Amino acid sequence: MSLPDFIAQLESLGTDAERAFADAQTAEQLEAARIEFLGAKAGRLKSVQKLLGSISVADKPAAGKRLNEVKSAIESGFQTATERLENVVEEVVDETFDATLPGATWTTGRVHPITQTILLLKDIMGRLGFTPVEGPEIEDSWHNFDALNVPTIHPARDPLDNFYLASAAVWGSGSSSGADMLRSQTSTVQIRTMQQQQPPLRIISLGRVYRPDTADETHYPMFHQMEGLMVDRGVTMADLKTVLRLFATAYLGNSVPVRFRPSFFPFTEPSVEVDYYWNGRWVEFGGAGMVDPNVFLSVGYDPEHVTGFAFGLGVERLCMIRHGIRDIRDLYTNDVRFLAQF
Amino acid sequence: MIVSWKWLQRYINLDQLTDAQVAERLSLSGLNHESTQVLAGDWAIDLEVTSNRPDCLAHIGVAREVGVLFDRPLQVPNPQPQATGPAIESLTSVTVECPELCPRYTARLIRGVKIGPSPAWLQELLANATGDPTQFKSINNVADITNFVMLECGQPLHAFDFDRLHGQRIVVRPARDAEVLEAIDHKSYTLQAGMCVIADADRPVALAGIMGGAATEITEQTVNVLIESAEFAPGSVRNTSRRLKLASDSSYRFERTIDPIGTDWASLRCCQLIIEHCGGQLCAGVIDHGGAKAERTPIRFRLDQIARILGIEIAPAKVRRILEALGVKIDEGNGTVVGIWSATPPSWRRDLTREADLVEEVARIHGYDKIPEDHAVPMAVSRTTPVDISSQRVRSVLTAAGLSEALSPSLVPSVLSELYSPWSDRPTMATLQPMLGVLDTKFWNNAGPVDCVRRSLIPSLLELRRINEFRHHLPIELFEIAKVYLPGDSFPVEPTMIGVCSGRSLLDMKSVMAEVFGTIRRGLEVQVDVVSDSFFAPGRGLRYRIGDQLLGLMGEISRSTQKKMKLRQTCVVGEFFQEALVRNLQVIPQAQRQSLYPAIERDLNFILETKVRWADLESTVRATGGVLLEQVAYRETYIDAKRDGEGKKRVLLTITLRSLDETLTGKQADEICQRVVSACEEKCGAKLVTG
Repeated sequence: MSLPDFIAQLESLGTDAERAFADAQTAEQLEAARIEFLGAKAGRLKSVQKLLGSISVADKPAAGKRLNEVKSAIESGFQTATERLENVVEEVVDETFDATLPGATWTTGRVHPITQTILLLKDIMGRLGFTPVEGPEIEDSWHNFDALNVPTIHPARDPLDNFYLASAAVWGSGSSSGADMLRSQTSTVQIRTMQQQQPPLRIISLGRVYRPDTADETHYPMFHQMEGLMVDRGVTMADLKTVLRLFATAYLGNSVPVRFRPSFFPFTEPSVEVDYYWNGRWVEFGGAGMVDPNVFLSVGYDPEHVTGFAFGLGVERLCMIRHGIRDIRDLYTNDVRFLAQF
Repeated sequence: MIVSWKWLQRYINLDQLTDAQVAERLSLSGLNHESTQVLAGDWAIDLEVTSNRPDCLAHIGVAREVGVLFDRPLQVPNPQPQATGPAIESLTSVTVECPELCPRYTARLIRGVKIGPSPAWLQELLANATGDPTQFKSINNVADITNFVMLECGQPLHAFDFDRLHGQRIVVRPARDAEVLEAIDHKSYTLQAGMCVIADADRPVALAGIMGGAATEITEQTVNVLIESAEFAPGSVRNTSRRLKLASDSSYRFERTIDPIGTDWASLRCCQLIIEHCGGQLCAGVIDHGGAKAERTPIRFRLDQIARILGIEIAPAKVRRILEALGVKIDEGNGTVVGIWSATPPSWRRDLTREADLVEEVARIHGYDKIPEDHAVPMAVSRTTPVDISSQRVRSVLTAAGLSEALSPSLVPSVLSELYSPWSDRPTMATLQPMLGVLDTKFWNNAGPVDCVRRSLIPSLLELRRINEFRHHLPIELFEIAKVYLPGDSFPVEPTMIGVCSGRSLLDMKSVMAEVFGTIRRGLEVQVDVVSDSFFAPGRGLRYRIGDQLLGLMGEISRSTQKKMKLRQTCVVGEFFQEALVRNLQVIPQAQRQSLYPAIERDLNFILETKVRWADLESTVRATGGVLLEQVAYRETYIDAKRDGEGKKRVLLTITLRSLDETLTGKQADEICQRVVSACEEKCGAKLVTG
């Protein structure tokens, strides 16, 4: 047999074997192919191998080399096919399974929208360097009024406008340092903080405050305030406006116009009301001002040395606008369907 | 305060200005613009006047502001009515028995007036200044003139029918208890001792500063008129007005204080207009008790304070112009001290007493918009407090477990306050005023007022559960983080509590709370004891401790609690001290080395007395397991009286053993198990089931 004929037979054997092993889909088909090509007795490789004897001596080395190459290619093809078929796992078909059915009910609870608003406010103010402080909710009239420069006969002290305790030392006028009332503003915490710490100060206090409005759509006798205070040497109204502008931008977004207009609070001078433009009108955002010198004197700070600003805002209104809540009472009825929305 | 554009023009030239321009500038200088009504030939501009600016409760005051803002001169009338009658002292007298309630009282007398309708211009201005002319009712010329002068200068006035004053005299005195006055609103008011009244020889004829009496009001028959222009103490007017639930334009102004110098001006102005429009003869002189107040004290005004407070410089000339236009008299001194002025505020600005007040005046007229809002504020670090960190961890676990956060009022009715108070035996504190509109009164018809400052969150949470049950909203899984108020000797203690209320089982809630505590500090050892407390179902109330520290309570409510709260289903409630968690908070969790060697698990099946508690069995296993004991897991309890006898149970548990340093051998595990089994037998009477 001539060398080219032998080579041609080898090549065709190699191609056939490669295809047969690649095509085998089951172990049985693969075994049949193995017997056909690699069978020890009558395999096609064996048959071709026998033809080697009829090749001339001069061509034998070349023929032998090629034979070995084809042989190892066939064997590796078989090996690959074996491994492939070993990894085949038969999938179980279960027609009773319906992947469109719901799973077991699994719900997370929600954080109250007021708390979410408070956390956001703390977050924004935290980035501006303000640290939260806490204080008592049951206050003496000195911290709630006197220290904040509210005169003894001021209408803000009226017993009808405050939750005085039945056991209070004073109701409506005068000053006491005993448990008098549920605080009507978070500014009391400013005073307590200034009594305990020296400037510089950058604090916020958030919490419940109380005023005896009958609950209706827009009023609730308990609500939340955020109060902020910054005191240092050289703090000016430019600092106040800048901090509140940054705060408003962070809370409301860049495009919302904000304005500052004069107002009146006993504990600040000058006083500012901050408005933002929303749905075609100016809405009150909060009150602020430079800390009144009398407030500094009441806590033992020297108003000739330090200046500062304070601001306060109602959390409920911010929360309600943010979440589209129309009735403030919904916040405190705690209907689980209401709470699940946030 | 509703201002008529037309009226303003009596004192200031408004040419070339629009109502919108003026309203905008007023808003940005302290008189916030509420709304503008367009009227026939006029605008009614509604301005919000803060309580420190009673001078702007009048057209002249607002005109002065506009004049300062637009740099236009103010023209104030100079009333000089001719007195052609006899001396007033010969006809009447005024006695002020209580100068502390009435610092100044002036009276003038006009005889022979002709009562009739007011002139058209007066009716129009008064009508427009109500904002809604269709609702305006003119009274008569004299009464309308007193109202006009009040709205012109802010001084409330009253006109008495002189002939109906018994004894033809005025006595300003404290009311006697239970005196009755019929006011011009034709309602009778029962007075209390101490209220200030204007009386004649026999009876009260007006409530000082609030309202006149019907008996002496001006009628068509009135001929002689006594004009009162006075100053009443703000606190007294407010208290009387509040107590009688009777407020008026007059009381509103007296409560905010009036211009003490303006009192006589108003009286003269009123007399001038009456003579002009109603005829009559003004008696000579005035009865003036108290007289005009002493001059205002000058304020030392350091100009450098403007930059110190506002952060901007304002030229001294501008500062001076602003202050002078507002009526402040400036004395720059003899020039030896530069930059320090002596500034004397006008009588109508009682709110200006200090340097800071003047700085504010300059700032608001100069314009807050001139102060930059992009200033370089120094940076500062802030920190999240341990309280906030622990609250956040508590919230994240509880919400992950399906509980939603509730917020409920701090005041509760006594029925809820008395339902349960685990932290204080002292009586609850009560407020004078109750909270109104916060209680489901359809359900709680006899609960009493909401005036108890709550001592526990648990009753509130049960109430929230009841409301949700009633509305058929299930499941009801709630928590609240809030203060409770435990009465103390002077101030109450106000611990912040974490309250939970759940429809799941007590054991499931225990697991939830264990996860909460685990996020506070991994491996935090919390002890739980069963307590006897009739609020909870027998054997189902737990007290939590961290060592000696009380942590809280949790349990399944008893049937009687359930019945009292009209709950359809039982539930689990718990309340924990936040401070106990904060004290044990690990702010930054620290990594522990994890073993890379395999664990050995052994199941132990014990027979023991039914009454033996798992907690005792578990702590015995833990105490004897040693360092290689990684976990003790409860599997199940099995009761079979036939096989094991009465009062016995089988408890299956799995212990996990693992070493950090080596693979444990079966022999090591056997030894540990042996120790554990012996200890359980000795301490708990537990017998190991074998085979």
